[in-house]
Amino acid sequence: MKQLINTINGFSNVELRFKMTKRLLIIFTVIFSLQACSEDFLNRDPKGNLTAETFFENEQHAIWATNAIYANFRSWEYCGLPYLGATDIVSDDSDKGSTETDGPYLKEVDDFQFDATNQTFSTIWKGHYQTIARANIAINRIPDIDMKAELKERLIGEAKFLRAFNYFRLVQWFGDIPLVLTQLADDQYFSQKRNPKTEIYTQIEKDLLDAISALPERSKYKSEDLGRATKGAAKGILAKLYMLDKKFDKALVLCEEIIKSGEYSLLPNYNQIFTQAGENGAESMFEIGAVALQASVVGSGATPYNMVQGVRGVPNLGWGFNRPSDDLIANYEAGDPRRQATIIYVGEVLPDGSTIVQDNPEILDERFNQKAWVGSHPGLQDNGPGNIRLLRYADIILLAAEAANELGNASKALEYVNMTRKRARGTNNFILKDLTITDKDALRTAIRRERRSELAMEQHRWFDLQRWGIQKEVMTKVGKTFVSNKHELFPLPQTEIDLGGGSLGQNQGY
Amino acid sequence: MIITKIYRWFVLIMLLCISTLVGAQHKLSGIVKAGGSDETLIGATIEEKGTTNGTITDIDGKYEISLSSANATIIVKYVGYTDVEVAVGGRSVIDVNLEESSIMIDQVVVVGYGVQKKSDLTGAVSSLKGKELERVTTPNIEQALQGKIPGVYVAPASGQPGAGATIRIRGTGTLNNNNPLYVIDGMITEDASSVNPQDVESIEVLKDASSAAIYGSRGANGVILITTKNGKKRKNALLSLSTYYGVQEPVKYIELLDGAEFAKAYNQLRGTAYYPDPSIYGKGTDWQREVMHSAPIANIQFGANGASDLISYNFSANLFDQEGILKNTSYNRGAFRLNTEMKLKPWLTLGNNTSYSIIKEQLGPNVVNSAYRIPSVLTVEENGTFTDPTFFGLALSNPAAEQYYRSNKYKNGTQLLGNLFADINILKDLKFRTNFGYFVEDKKEREILPEYQVSASQINKQNSLGILREGNINWIWEQTLNYLKEWKDQSLGILLGYTAEQRKFEKTGAGRLSFPGVSDELYYLSSGNDTTQTNFGEASDEALVSLLFRTNYALKSKYLLTASLRVDKSSRFTPDNRTGYFPSASIGWNLGNEEFIQRLNTFERLKLRVSYGILGSQALTNRYPTSAIINSGLNAVFGTGESVNQGATQLSISNLKLKWEVSNQTDIGFEAGFLKDQLSVEMDWYRRFSYDIIADVPIPAFVGSSNYPFVNTAEVLNTGIELGVNWRKSGTFDYNIGANFSTVNNEVIALAKGKNEIFDAIINGEPATRTTVGFPIGSFYGYKVAGIFQSAEEIASSPKFGNEKPGDIKYADSNNDGILDAKDRVYLGSPIPKITYGINFGAGYKGIDFNADFLGVHGNLVFNEKETSRFAVYNWEKHVANAWTVDNPSTSEPRVTNGGHNYRPSDRFLQNGSYFRLRTVSLGYTFPASWVSKVKMESFRIFLSGTNLWTNQEFTGYNPEFPNSSSPFKVGFDNGTYPIAKSFQIGLETKF
Repeated sequence: MKQLINTINGFSNVELRFKMTKRLLIIFTVIFSLQACSEDFLNRDPKGNLTAETFFENEQHAIWATNAIYANFRSWEYCGLPYLGATDIVSDDSDKGSTETDGPYLKEVDDFQFDATNQTFSTIWKGHYQTIARANIAINRIPDIDMKAELKERLIGEAKFLRAFNYFRLVQWFGDIPLVLTQLADDQYFSQKRNPKTEIYTQIEKDLLDAISALPERSKYKSEDLGRATKGAAKGILAKLYMLDKKFDKALVLCEEIIKSGEYSLLPNYNQIFTQAGENGAESMFEIGAVALQASVVGSGATPYNMVQGVRGVPNLGWGFNRPSDDLIANYEAGDPRRQATIIYVGEVLPDGSTIVQDNPEILDERFNQKAWVGSHPGLQDNGPGNIRLLRYADIILLAAEAANELGNASKALEYVNMTRKRARGTNNFILKDLTITDKDALRTAIRRERRSELAMEQHRWFDLQRWGIQKEVMTKVGKTFVSNKHELFPLPQTEIDLGGGSLGQNQGY
Repeated sequence: MIITKIYRWFVLIMLLCISTLVGAQHKLSGIVKAGGSDETLIGATIEEKGTTNGTITDIDGKYEISLSSANATIIVKYVGYTDVEVAVGGRSVIDVNLEESSIMIDQVVVVGYGVQKKSDLTGAVSSLKGKELERVTTPNIEQALQGKIPGVYVAPASGQPGAGATIRIRGTGTLNNNNPLYVIDGMITEDASSVNPQDVESIEVLKDASSAAIYGSRGANGVILITTKNGKKRKNALLSLSTYYGVQEPVKYIELLDGAEFAKAYNQLRGTAYYPDPSIYGKGTDWQREVMHSAPIANIQFGANGASDLISYNFSANLFDQEGILKNTSYNRGAFRLNTEMKLKPWLTLGNNTSYSIIKEQLGPNVVNSAYRIPSVLTVEENGTFTDPTFFGLALSNPAAEQYYRSNKYKNGTQLLGNLFADINILKDLKFRTNFGYFVEDKKEREILPEYQVSASQINKQNSLGILREGNINWIWEQTLNYLKEWKDQSLGILLGYTAEQRKFEKTGAGRLSFPGVSDELYYLSSGNDTTQTNFGEASDEALVSLLFRTNYALKSKYLLTASLRVDKSSRFTPDNRTGYFPSASIGWNLGNEEFIQRLNTFERLKLRVSYGILGSQALTNRYPTSAIINSGLNAVFGTGESVNQGATQLSISNLKLKWEVSNQTDIGFEAGFLKDQLSVEMDWYRRFSYDIIADVPIPAFVGSSNYPFVNTAEVLNTGIELGVNWRKSGTFDYNIGANFSTVNNEVIALAKGKNEIFDAIINGEPATRTTVGFPIGSFYGYKVAGIFQSAEEIASSPKFGNEKPGDIKYADSNNDGILDAKDRVYLGSPIPKITYGINFGAGYKGIDFNADFLGVHGNLVFNEKETSRFAVYNWEKHVANAWTVDNPSTSEPRVTNGGHNYRPSDRFLQNGSYFRLRTVSLGYTFPASWVSKVKMESFRIFLSGTNLWTNQEFTGYNPEFPNSSSPFKVGFDNGTYPIAKSFQIGLETKF
């Protein structure tokens, strides 16, 4: 108590009171000076990242956002094993490959024993929708950027082409799917319905028509921009859509526009197409660029596409999946050099002459996809440098042949189909003689066979079978347990149905 | 203006005081000390008997009192000490020695921003003294808490040396980060890994709203306050030296197929006699025994402790060295601590608590999974080189080779943790403290990879060096005003405060390939090939400012009231959603001080308390959850020159509307002491209702986002009961038995709008957990196994997926619709233990001491995920030896398969997670003081102790604890966690 009294008495003492006041002053100055600057203190922005508020401000940003769409084509979700499962392995072109027990989910796909939980479907679904999301951002945000009009139009055109390309694949695999064209709001995630596939077709057509008018021909690009979407590529994909939709006349018009444009030509030698030298060659209409930079920077330019199909064993170049099937080999006409150019056999010298492929006792009768083979490159297997060829001129020529035949113009159909045969036989006139059949059905069969030989192991076969409506017939022939009214389409991923809150529904039969 | 107000206040108080000065007075002064020591007692009360006159001792233990007469009698009281009555008899100076009462009724416990008498507490606070932690031989304070406190569930993150633990206080309250907040001597941190357990004076766990609300936006998961030792007043410093050495062994090995069994199972898988004679493979290789070994653990601690009138100090130096039971893993720590306090002026005290740790870890690869998977028919070495395991077409590496080649990876870190503070006595009852806390961490990791080739896939063509440097700089500056006034019948405490804090993180890494040799000395970046160089860096920061208020009021030590409010502003949210208010209120009733209870003569003490409050949580790992980040590095390759063109875009979705997560917490508790307080009981019922829970809820992939956006979503309710019972008997034979028991009932009340289920833990294409209303968070989900198909006929007549063969699992058609599909997946159990408990026993007799701590959990399941993952031919667990075949028509074990149908998430992979473990046991002997004093020692003790020596569990893996500190949707999954060790130590402790 006395201490307190002393303290209080102290207030009558001027010096003590001064000290006390000083203590308090210091304290409260400290407190209130801190409080004053708190809002500035609390505003923190992400370090080392632009944000949505600071992006899409200039031309550079528009280019980056467009490039980012192409980048996703090199991802595992886009071009890894699940993609090969959903294209070649599921078809009669190839078997799962690799060792007997590796990749059991692909075995299920190969044998039509899959269900909606198979990771093949969730992976490709995700890869393609993520690419679509990137395209949506570019399409919706670039228009507001103040930049050169010509470039702006082109970039939006590229993005629309890429969006259409992705929807085209998805609609062929899954049928009715959600059509997402903007960044969805948070109350839309769990209530999306699937749009009928006709609506998807309409959107693809719209995007591609926009792209055709916006994009330059390939020859108008500078050499450092080769690989970007072109007018020709957009016409090519649109022609495929029309073929699927049985609009053969429209398809033929587009194909012939491409043929007459003079932009493309068949390489003289089929062997060259899938080499390093053949990248972005005269025959290339759309391909995704890839490059193996130094080993330690894996990922910045590489794809897993080469690795997963690479020779497994000695030499060890990859995982050995996607084995060209016996049925594919039987499809080649006698002496067709395209068989050797498509398949790597045991005992064969690799295309670069580096070594002979040896037998691997763990794989029964192994063969590998030569179109995915790449020579020595920096880094390990996962640093795959091979460009992924998505649309070739030969494909368009054969589509033109097909369309012409369907329209009853056999002579035109023969003219086109014999173009690829001629290139394939080269100087050897004893093989792959020109077709002369004029019967519509017989010619259809011959064109389909030619198409399979020309485009084997390039991930087109499953889509072709679907377009022709002969999946059941062909799959049954090669001993697969294909169920009609079910296996024509893949099941929507189970995780997507679970997450979608029950509004999506499943495809028939699953 | 405030200064004027305070001045007015003083005038008022002065007037009041003057009025008490009227009348004849006898002045008395003196010092109150703890019996038998030089330690002075601060805050002891001196009352004049029969009057309302009284005072308390000051910071030096001194008191002055004016008595009504020179013949009065004074009563001196101090919590935890026996009251003393002294007849003044005309003396003017009386020094009083108080004897410690055998019953520790009234400990002082540390609470947020202050201390309180346990008897005055109205919140649920559990306290643990440093002594109780000393005998657990772990370098990590988090692990040392296991089984000690009701309502606090501790699970070691892994058995990796130096690993922390995941702590859940009162259940799992949120869908994101459920970790409690740690406050080390006032410095707020996210973990307590930098604290040396032997430096700890006490640990307080703030479990309810009343105690934790003062930590506002971060208090929802509970708060753990760690106070380190300070100097105790003595003539000379007390020096101490203690050490132990021990050996650790794996707690168990998983039973896998041996060589012959594997060969047989493999033949069954292939359907051919791939191995013509399986029996020749015999036992084969048990790879677990190849990659694990017995490993030493050692600790040495030196301490110096003392205090004078002006300065107090505690110094410690500690060396801890632990090798892991997985080869090539280790943890070494040197830790130094200096805590000091200086009384510079009667009104000014400066102090600091500082710890500096140097940590070196060897981070050899965790090869538990590959040792589990690699077939037992393979050998470690062939012809002096590591066996190439790709014979089986496996994408699997030889784990022994992995350990050999990839272990040149070390992390060197330093941590500086502490605080500086100044206490200013403005008035006798009004104190100001400014406290600056800091945490500075610098971690450097170096990994050298040599060139090697074991197989086509286990290969490294070019040697390399990778370095990674990470740093954290966090600081807090707190200003608090504490007013504490005690009258005869009442006491009032008021706390006002302002705090600001900032946290910064930065990471930089670089690497090169192709170094010119194998010697470690060559591995510095510049000597590598410069065309292979890579580098990366990133940083983040955050800030928080807060206002604090708390008041405590006690009337007649019977009726207690506490109220608090914290206002937090966080940089993580947009300015509109930045501010959060977190109030709490609680009342307590010390029934034990009521006459009608005292008349019962049953209770030594009895208190009822009730609290309610609102707490928050912002514990996201993402410091910028509302910013839509533009990701760069999304490059495209164009042109004949194949050049890489930069790309960037927005990949993830952000949520600008994000705001604080909130939790309403209610607690009703009582504390009682019986039989001279030898028996004490404390019981609490609690209810934690969390809402607006922030979670990155999975969204459909068609949205195209690469991340799941954070949203304010679910509501979760945790309720439970906590019970702590302690019996302590003193005498020649001292013993105590304590038991703690707690229950958690976790239930999801609601999820986001339009969203009924959250699926996670995707295993083989299907979710293994589902979080849905009415069930615990992260409940296991999948198919129920109904049996094994014995024949094609049985398959034909049963609901099926379609590709089943005889010997495959028959899954239950749970919804009885005759079709087997995804709709038949059901709730399979909870990963959250319903009951956790601990039993602690201690006894002492003539220098011999014995302690045993048991702990257990009950009522949870664990998912044996490692068994479900099969990319290739892996070894199987022992039960597969009994696989179904035509000749062995098992009804429980399916035919041998490798993925597919039999590996869907189902109850087949769920096991009972309950266990009961002897966590620690120790036996020590303290030599008699008369002996050791001859060598000028104060005490000398030797001891033997064991950790994790015995466990009763059904689980077939190493240890059924699989916490997940980052996601509550995937808790309880065993995917190859570093196994825990059992250990046996011998040690000694000396004081001189």
